[in-house]
Amino acid sequence: MTDATAAAALAPKKSIITVDDRTQKRNAAEKRFRAYGIAAIAAGMVFLVVLLGSILLNGVTAFQQTFIQVPVYLDPAKVDKEGNRDPEEMAKVSTFGYKPLLIEAMAELVTERGIETEIAPGDMDALFSSSAVAQLRDRVLANPDLVGETVSFNILAASRVDGYLKDRVSRDSVARDKNIDAGHLDIVDALRAEGDVVKRFNWDFILGSDASESRPEQAGMGVAMLGSFFMMLVVLGLSLPIGVAASIYLEEFAPQNRLTDVIEVNISNLAAVPSIVFGILGLAVFIQFMEFPQSAPLVGGLVLTLMTLPTIIISTRAALKSVPPSIRDAALGVGASKMQSVFHHVLPLAMPGILTGTIIGLAQALGETAPLLLIGMVGYIATNYPDGISSGFLDPNSAMPAQIYEWAKRADPAYYERAWGGIIILLVFLFAMNAIAILLRRKFERRW
Amino acid sequence: MYDRTFPENAVTAQDIKIEAKGVNVHYGDTHAIKDVSVDIQDKTVTAFIGPSGCGKSTFLRCFNRMNDTIDSARVTGDIRIDGEDIYDKRVDPVQLRAKVGMVFQKPNPFPKSIYDNVAYGPKIHGLAHTRADLDDIVEKALRRGAIWDEVKDRLQAPGTGLSGGQQQRLCIARAIATEPEVLLMDEPCSALDPIATGQVEELIDELRRDYSVVIVTHSMQQAARVSQKTAFFHLGNLVEYGDTDEIFTNPQDPKTESYITGRIG
Repeated sequence: MTDATAAAALAPKKSIITVDDRTQKRNAAEKRFRAYGIAAIAAGMVFLVVLLGSILLNGVTAFQQTFIQVPVYLDPAKVDKEGNRDPEEMAKVSTFGYKPLLIEAMAELVTERGIETEIAPGDMDALFSSSAVAQLRDRVLANPDLVGETVSFNILAASRVDGYLKDRVSRDSVARDKNIDAGHLDIVDALRAEGDVVKRFNWDFILGSDASESRPEQAGMGVAMLGSFFMMLVVLGLSLPIGVAASIYLEEFAPQNRLTDVIEVNISNLAAVPSIVFGILGLAVFIQFMEFPQSAPLVGGLVLTLMTLPTIIISTRAALKSVPPSIRDAALGVGASKMQSVFHHVLPLAMPGILTGTIIGLAQALGETAPLLLIGMVGYIATNYPDGISSGFLDPNSAMPAQIYEWAKRADPAYYERAWGGIIILLVFLFAMNAIAILLRRKFERRW
Repeated sequence: MYDRTFPENAVTAQDIKIEAKGVNVHYGDTHAIKDVSVDIQDKTVTAFIGPSGCGKSTFLRCFNRMNDTIDSARVTGDIRIDGEDIYDKRVDPVQLRAKVGMVFQKPNPFPKSIYDNVAYGPKIHGLAHTRADLDDIVEKALRRGAIWDEVKDRLQAPGTGLSGGQQQRLCIARAIATEPEVLLMDEPCSALDPIATGQVEELIDELRRDYSVVIVTHSMQQAARVSQKTAFFHLGNLVEYGDTDEIFTNPQDPKTESYITGRIG
C-alpha cells in the first residue's frame, strides 16, 4: 500500500489532452492495419469485377445468333418425287436433296434485292450453316403440306457470317479463309441493310445439343445440362442421406475413442483430396471393376458423390454441433430416447446448416471437371437427347463444365465465344443454387 | 434473509424415496463423488449445497442417469428408487427419466410453442389418447407450474419468447407434465432475478405435496427457505446431512459451519 502511493507520488503527472508517444505509435499501427485490410478487400473486388466483366464481355455474344430470312420454294419435284405427300416416302430424300433448294433460294434472294456479286449461285452455301439444310428437311417432313409452296424460313447463318456481324471475322482474316470470300461479306452487308440478315436471341445455345467442330453456330448446352441434371440427382440422392446419417452417428451416437478420431481425421483429409484422384478411383472401381457404362451420368454422379460427401459431413456436423447441448438435455430430461431427441429437436434446428452445406456441396460438384474427364463424361452428343429416365442415367453424356472444356479446346474461334457463354450459364446455375441456400437458411432459421 | 420460511415447512417422518449407498462417480481419472450415501425422503424438498465443483450436480444427475450421456463418467454404488436399483441392467434410462423429471440450471425450453413444450413429454410417453386429453394435461401442468395465467392466451407463442423466470417455470411445467415421482432441480434459480426466484421457490414448496424434490443450489438462503433436508458436499464428500433447521442453526461438522458462515466456498 505504502509502496504504491510512493510510486504514484514520484511519477510526473500526465495530461490526457496531449497524445503520448506510445499512444501515437499504437494509433499509427492501427491505421496501417486498417489500410491493409481495405487494400486487400479492394484488390479482391477488383479481381472479382475483372473476372465477371471479362466473362460477360466474352460470353454474352454467344446468346445471340445470326439468322437469314429467306423465302424457299419447296419444289415437289425434288422433295416429293412420288407426289403423294407421304412422309415416309419423303424421308428417303436426304439433306443432299434439300441443299439445292436453299442454294437456289439464296441466289434468288440476292438477285431479288438487286445485289451485284461475282459469287456464283452455287457458292451461296457458304452463307448459311450446313445444319440449316437439316432443319429445313425436318420442317418439311413434319408438315408435308408445305411442299409446292414458297415458305419463308429463318435459317441459321454460317459461323463466319455470324462472326462477321459480331466483329470476330474481319475482311483481313477472310482473305486467308477457304470457307468464305469477301464477296460473301458484301452480300451479307447488303442483305443486312435490307433486314434479311438479323441477330436474334439464340435459345438453341441454351437448349440445343453440341455440334461438330465445323459448325459452331449450331452448338448448344442443352444435352450437357441434362447430363449435369441427372448427375446432380445421383449426387443429391446418395450424398444427402449418407452424409447426414454419417454425421448424426458420428456427432450424436459414436463413442469417443481412437477409432472415431481416426475416422474424423480421415473425413477432414478426404475433403482436401484433389478431385482428379476421385476421378481415377471412379474409373478403377465403377467402370473397370463394376463395369458400369462409361461416360454415363450415373457413374459421374457416383464419383461426385464421393467427392461431395466430406463437404456435406463436415458442414452437417458443424450444424449439429452448433445446436446447444441444453436442448439435448431438455429432451432427455423429459424421457425422450436418444433418437427422439435427435430427430425431434436437434435435427430440425440443424436443418438450415445441413441444407446450406448440401447445396454448397452440390454447387461444387456441378462445377467439377477433372474427375469427369477421367471417366469419359465428355461425350460428344450432337443430336440425341436422352429419351427417358433410365437413358438419362445410363447413356453416354457430357456435363456442363466438361462441355465448356471441350469447346475451349476446339480450334474454331467461334467456339471460344461459346465456351465463355457456357461459363455464364454455369455461373447462373451456381448463383441460383447459392441463392436457394440463402433462402432456405432464412426460412428455416429459428431464433432462441 | 433466513426468516422467510413457508408455513408448512415442518419436517415429518416419511417414507424413503431414493436410497443411495456408497455411490462413487469417476470422470476419467477424476474422482468426483466419493462414497456418498443418502436417503431422500418422499414429499420432501432436499437441498444439496456446497462450494462450486464439490460434486453436488454430478450426484444429482446420478438419480436420473443423466451421467450416462457423458462418455467418460462412471458411476458405481447402489441407488434405489422405491427399492428398485436404477443402475440394474434391465432398467431403460429413458423409462427412468420419465419417472424422475429434471429441471436444468439454464432455462432450456424447446424452440417450439409453449403448448408443444409441455405436450412433448406426454406425447412421447403416450399419456394422452385424444387431443382433448392432451389439452387437459398441458393445462394442468401449466397450472401446477404457476404459469397458466400468464400464458393461457398465447399457448401457440414460442416458449423461447418468455422472460427468464417464465421460461424456467415453463420448464418445470414441462417436467411435471410427464407425471414424474421425483423432481430433480439443478440450480433452477441461478439465472433468474430475485422476483422470479421467489416465484420459483414458492412453486417448489407447492410441488412438495406430490413429489420428492431434490434441489441443488449455490444459495444457502435458498436452501434454508425451501428445503426440509439439507446435504452439504465438499470436495466430493458428503460432509453432513440432516434437517435443514439443524444444519443451519447447529451444524455438527466444523466445515459445514465455516461454509454456511461464509468462510469457505
